[in-house]
Amino acid sequence: MIGAIDFQVGVDAVSFGALFAVMALGLALLFGVMRLMNFAYGELIMVGGYTMYYTRDFGALPMILITIVVVVFVSVLMELIAFRPVRHAAPVTLLITSFAVSFGLQQAAFMTVARGRQKGVEPYPWLTDQHHIAGLRLSNLDVLTLLVAAGLLIGMTLLLKRTTIGMQLRASTEDYQMARLVGIRGNRVISFAFAITGLLAAAVCILYVLRTGSLSATMGVTPLLIAFVGGAIGGLGSLTGAALGGFTLGVVINTIQSSLPVDLSGYTLMFAFLFVIVVLVIAPNGLLDLTRKVWSAVTTRLGALDRRAA
Amino acid sequence: MSSAVALGRRYLRAAWTPIVLSAVIVLTWAIVEYADSVTLEEDVMRLFLWMLLVLAWQLFSGNSGVMSFGHVAFMAAGAYFSALLTMSPTLKEINFADMPEFLASWIQPAELGLFASMLAAGALAAVLAAIFGIAVARLAGIAAAIATLAILVIMFTFIVQTPSVTGGSDVLVGVPRETTPGNVAIALVVIIFAVYAFKQSRHGMRLRASRENQEAAQSVAVNVRLERYIAFVIAGLICGVAGALYAHYFSGFAAADFYFELTFIVVAMLVVGGMQSVAGAVVGTYFLTIVYLTARRGEVDGVFGMEPPSGTANLLVAIALLLVLILRPNGITGGREVPWPGALRRRGPVAASAAGTVPEEVKEAIAAGPSRPDAAPASGADATTPTSGEPL
Repeated sequence: MIGAIDFQVGVDAVSFGALFAVMALGLALLFGVMRLMNFAYGELIMVGGYTMYYTRDFGALPMILITIVVVVFVSVLMELIAFRPVRHAAPVTLLITSFAVSFGLQQAAFMTVARGRQKGVEPYPWLTDQHHIAGLRLSNLDVLTLLVAAGLLIGMTLLLKRTTIGMQLRASTEDYQMARLVGIRGNRVISFAFAITGLLAAAVCILYVLRTGSLSATMGVTPLLIAFVGGAIGGLGSLTGAALGGFTLGVVINTIQSSLPVDLSGYTLMFAFLFVIVVLVIAPNGLLDLTRKVWSAVTTRLGALDRRAA
Repeated sequence: MSSAVALGRRYLRAAWTPIVLSAVIVLTWAIVEYADSVTLEEDVMRLFLWMLLVLAWQLFSGNSGVMSFGHVAFMAAGAYFSALLTMSPTLKEINFADMPEFLASWIQPAELGLFASMLAAGALAAVLAAIFGIAVARLAGIAAAIATLAILVIMFTFIVQTPSVTGGSDVLVGVPRETTPGNVAIALVVIIFAVYAFKQSRHGMRLRASRENQEAAQSVAVNVRLERYIAFVIAGLICGVAGALYAHYFSGFAAADFYFELTFIVVAMLVVGGMQSVAGAVVGTYFLTIVYLTARRGEVDGVFGMEPPSGTANLLVAIALLLVLILRPNGITGGREVPWPGALRRRGPVAASAAGTVPEEVKEAIAAGPSRPDAAPASGADATTPTSGEPL
């Protein structure tokens, strides 16, 4: 019985973590290409949420398609208007720019779509249907989240490793100047990166809104914070690292929340962020980097042992 | 005789920036006292209190190049601690009946004045900064930024979830209103001189060296971690004092006052003004405060008889912020201090870039050179590389 409960917590935590893995991936992509920590990423989720609200009567598929198109468009537009002019500037200038964009979009939403009574998107009933598999409650939404997250991670990997534009993007992440010298078009690559983050944001937005249901002008802030911090503990420099970090933090937050005694459960974020500080001190370049270092240390030791045995 | 004059000139020149900035502060204070308007006083108080924070940020982030999102947490600690120490004991007995005994035994009967509680707030903030600083000083770039962000979230969660000590997420009321524009103006002048002196001190110099090139600084025996730690704790102390002044001006405040919104306002002010100079901190605070408060006045009172929808002011601030960053990516001052008038006359405005010694002028010119907007390729169609090693 206790084992089943623990596994239940595990299932929730994993589906929660998968969501943040996808989101951290989008953040890491921009960070890699142009050292931008994009605070306005959360507002893409907000834009997507309201698009879903206004298209909710069109049926599931049109709603999803329109949401994706709108979010990708806003994402690319954001780059053209706000980030292109400051691209040479220091990372902190980029950061404040993204904050200004985020703040501006929030205020624009306050003045227009978020006015009046609280809006919400009602989740489709079939999404909350639960299956009982081996004693675990598993909703369709959990399954969908995991499938979409896995699909996006695999898709991203293929896109980055197998396509020309993906290779150009990775080259730009490594060394932007050099990439341009060998004929890669900087503007195109960066626009493309923003389009991809828009796509990822749209996916996260749809899954997130179907989960929580409620909309507000500042709804993007909390998921952004978690994904952002998660990405940083995984290592924003690499896509795998960021996804791993986002996943880890999602899982950790969910696990802390369900394992703390009731009178302490309000302190979840406090414990989660203490965990973040500890991880950062142990592995300032991210969990992935730490794993690699440990792995190479272990293999070197083993190699030495082998040689001694021989 | 002439040597005495020369000596006086030297001292005046060395302290030129803080003197000019203090004069601006005192002038603003004089205007408030003369105008005798409640709304103006409130606006200027906001400006002054923000500026205290921006100066603390300049001291740590401006000199070290390590971005902090966490110092508002130390301000919150200072605000709550000083409020608890100055509120009337009877009020505390009612509102904080279930405060743990080890705190209640000395906090409940305490009834300090503003100055004593300010010192206590600064001390608590410095102690907290000293604890968290151990972790932050080991980090650089994005990891440090995230760690400080974590401090902010930890402090906020603690305050909201511990109503027996802090009143939770409710507004804490009944703090004696003792802060006056004069108090804050004096504190500001002292802190402007202190922050500038720190920047010019050997610690500030080492820290700035580590900002420009950490490896090179380490190679000449600069203990980067130690220098960052010192600056982090001093900035925490200033934030604690600012918190005490804040608490005793608004007399009622809530945990949400000390969270992301305030953090971003302060960071934006510093970046807009120019992170690397004390003058930048002051200019940035004036600029954004004036834009923000003017826009808000316009929103509340209406412009040309029109009633702009609520939120217009904040939207305008965001747009103004974007415009400044696009036009002047290194901030309004570009990281320069107040130019010495003689230098302006003799060598033209370009040579007046720094008020400091010659090596610093050279260093700053080198540092500012390649990233200056007018130095960017004229084509402008494409970007130069964002330098990957640049600290955040």
